[in-house]
Amino acid sequence: MGRNNDLPTAPVSTSFILTEAGADEIRAVLGATGIDLATRRDDRRVVLDTFDGRLHGSGLRLELREGHRRELVVVTTSDSPPASVSWDGPPPVLSTDLPTGPFGARIAAAIGERALLPVLEIHATRRDAVRNDRRGRPVVRVALHDNVRVVAPAGHDVASTVVEVATSAGHDASDDRVIRALRDLGSLREGDLVDAVLSATGHSLGGHTSSPSVPMQPSDDALAAFSGVLRNLLSTIDDNVPGTLAELDTEFLHDLRVAIRRTRSVLTEAKGVLPDKLRAQYRQGFRELAAATGRARDLDVYVLGWNDAVGQVGLDDPDALAPILEQLEADRRVAHRDVAEALQGDTTRELLDSWREWLDGDAVEPSDAGSIGPYIAERIRKAQSGLLRDGRSITPESPAERLHDLRKDAKKLRYLLECFEGVLPTKSRKRFVGQLKALQDNLGQHQDAQVQVEELRSIAHVLNDGDSIGTDTLLAMGRLIDHLERVRERERDAFAQRFAAYDSKANRALLRAMLAKAAGS
Amino acid sequence: VKVVATYSIKGGVGKTTTAVNLAYEASQAGARVLVWDLDPQGAATYLLRVRAKVKGGSKRLVGRRGELAPHVRGSALDAVHVVPADFSLRHLDLHLDDTADPIARLANLLDPLRDRYDLALLDCPPSISLASESTFGATDALLVPVIPATLARRTLTQLTEFLDDLPDAPLVVPLLSMVDRRRALQREVIEELVAHVPELLDTIIPAAAVIERMGKERAPVACFAPRSKAAAAYREAWVELESLLW
Repeated sequence: MGRNNDLPTAPVSTSFILTEAGADEIRAVLGATGIDLATRRDDRRVVLDTFDGRLHGSGLRLELREGHRRELVVVTTSDSPPASVSWDGPPPVLSTDLPTGPFGARIAAAIGERALLPVLEIHATRRDAVRNDRRGRPVVRVALHDNVRVVAPAGHDVASTVVEVATSAGHDASDDRVIRALRDLGSLREGDLVDAVLSATGHSLGGHTSSPSVPMQPSDDALAAFSGVLRNLLSTIDDNVPGTLAELDTEFLHDLRVAIRRTRSVLTEAKGVLPDKLRAQYRQGFRELAAATGRARDLDVYVLGWNDAVGQVGLDDPDALAPILEQLEADRRVAHRDVAEALQGDTTRELLDSWREWLDGDAVEPSDAGSIGPYIAERIRKAQSGLLRDGRSITPESPAERLHDLRKDAKKLRYLLECFEGVLPTKSRKRFVGQLKALQDNLGQHQDAQVQVEELRSIAHVLNDGDSIGTDTLLAMGRLIDHLERVRERERDAFAQRFAAYDSKANRALLRAMLAKAAGS
Repeated sequence: VKVVATYSIKGGVGKTTTAVNLAYEASQAGARVLVWDLDPQGAATYLLRVRAKVKGGSKRLVGRRGELAPHVRGSALDAVHVVPADFSLRHLDLHLDDTADPIARLANLLDPLRDRYDLALLDCPPSISLASESTFGATDALLVPVIPATLARRTLTQLTEFLDDLPDAPLVVPLLSMVDRRRALQREVIEELVAHVPELLDTIIPAAAVIERMGKERAPVACFAPRSKAAAAYREAWVELESLLW
């Protein structure tokens, strides 16, 4: 018999068959090959991934399986053997909850600071069968799943029976009698039970995206393009509110704030496209919402970077700083409570509801801004011109606020490039954004260090006033402040070079060519 | 992937049993493991219930046109794959010598599989040869089973002195093996090793009948005697090794 073309030829493979055949029929097919199905048992699988599907994006799938034992399993799309560990505890949420060693390291590298959430839950009944070779090595494993139910998200039932077939690495599956017999039930497709369910239901594990980009062409109407971008940003805000309130991970608040800032920025740029009164009203509303969430994010950044920052100081006794971290965490809890209050308050609800109503309605008079390509090209040109003017005027003697203002200019330009990326040529936009990002990193690190120094000084005053700060802590704080000041100075010293790289002739020409294309000239 | 070789110049010190038991423990801790049996005796291949056959012989495996992936086989353990050995590996040095860069050859062969596995365990034959040097070039750590006897201590010194002269030498991790604490001389050697070899793992693998039974059971100790002292020792050895490597 020749090779079977519908079988994966990888050294290790798992395939599935979706079939209308019942358990008795499948048992008979397998029985004819000399293997018996074991007693049926319940099988539950919960697929865990981050809100934005980072594991899926990295080609990994993490499952909490409950069957003959409770285990965490990582499934990859490559030719690797499956990796699993026994797991008695609650589902892991953050990377710190994962097992040590390579298993946890692989997942942690993919998820970063994001939380793992249940994204798919499947219940089924399962019967197993295995065929060993004469050395006692299992070469084919069959799992018959019936009563397959998708518990979450609801509404995705699977009518078929799923037969999962795993062949051992190096085993010639095309010539295996079990595989040959199973082929009569349906075609074998690469994947396992979860893949079978995804295939049968059309459900995707891709996660939510916070990308501001929406499809558009340079010739599209400017009002339609702006409305599309703003609608997408509101959707990102809506998506991230529940995770922010539940404090699942720090990225929900971050993505929420970025969407708010982008909304404000896009509203500012919509002069002549959206009514001025409307722009002013919602810019103000979103400014207040941004302000209500700012301190919590600053403290998140501080606490997340704490270990790195303290590690770099090289203190003999890092525990001396424990009271400071405790104070930061206490402040952070208060700030997050304030965020929750703001997000659940009437002001925010009215802001978001009325904004949604406006975006979904058709109360807007057509604007005379024309098509989006030339319009946005002009806005980007102005943003770039402001950024270059401000940047060129900064000298080593300029106050720190000037760098802070320049950072705002850079963000404004970046948002335009990202929100309206559909009208810009991809390759040159990516190159240009890379240069802009390098400048933003410099300005960001400068400002973060400055904010953190101010925060530390403020905490020192609070603790000192309460006489609750020891000498060791005070000395360690001094070293940390000194370290942060050096970081700030280093970034400040690097600024001129970074800005010069950004302000290069080639980079300016790159943007000009990009805008000419967007404007259609 | 982290590459670890169970290696010793001396034979009969427990290299293969260490490799097979650690492969099992690593897989239980969630690692994807590849055992590459480089010993023509093929004992690791046998214990993991894989057919002792290198398709095309060692020339097809490590020669100029050789590659590893077609030789990978599933084993009796779910997350452990094996590149089996057979008697053709007695010519390993010869075929390595026929390649452009024999010292880098094993590392180059492992390269395409780096994303597939977390741990590659190379079970080496007892010798110091060209294949050993190629092993040193491919590994992050050499796990060296040491029997607490004066001669075994001497071979460990010979090995570390040899590696001292190599650039990018792997980490040497000695592991006390086949230990019988009832014997006074062994206790003396252990004390001396503990005092002078800081890299020595804390774990001690006992001389135990249950380890000898592996050949009959064709399985790691933990599969047929999970509560034995030997099984616990291999588990502890893996925990120590894991913390060294990750």
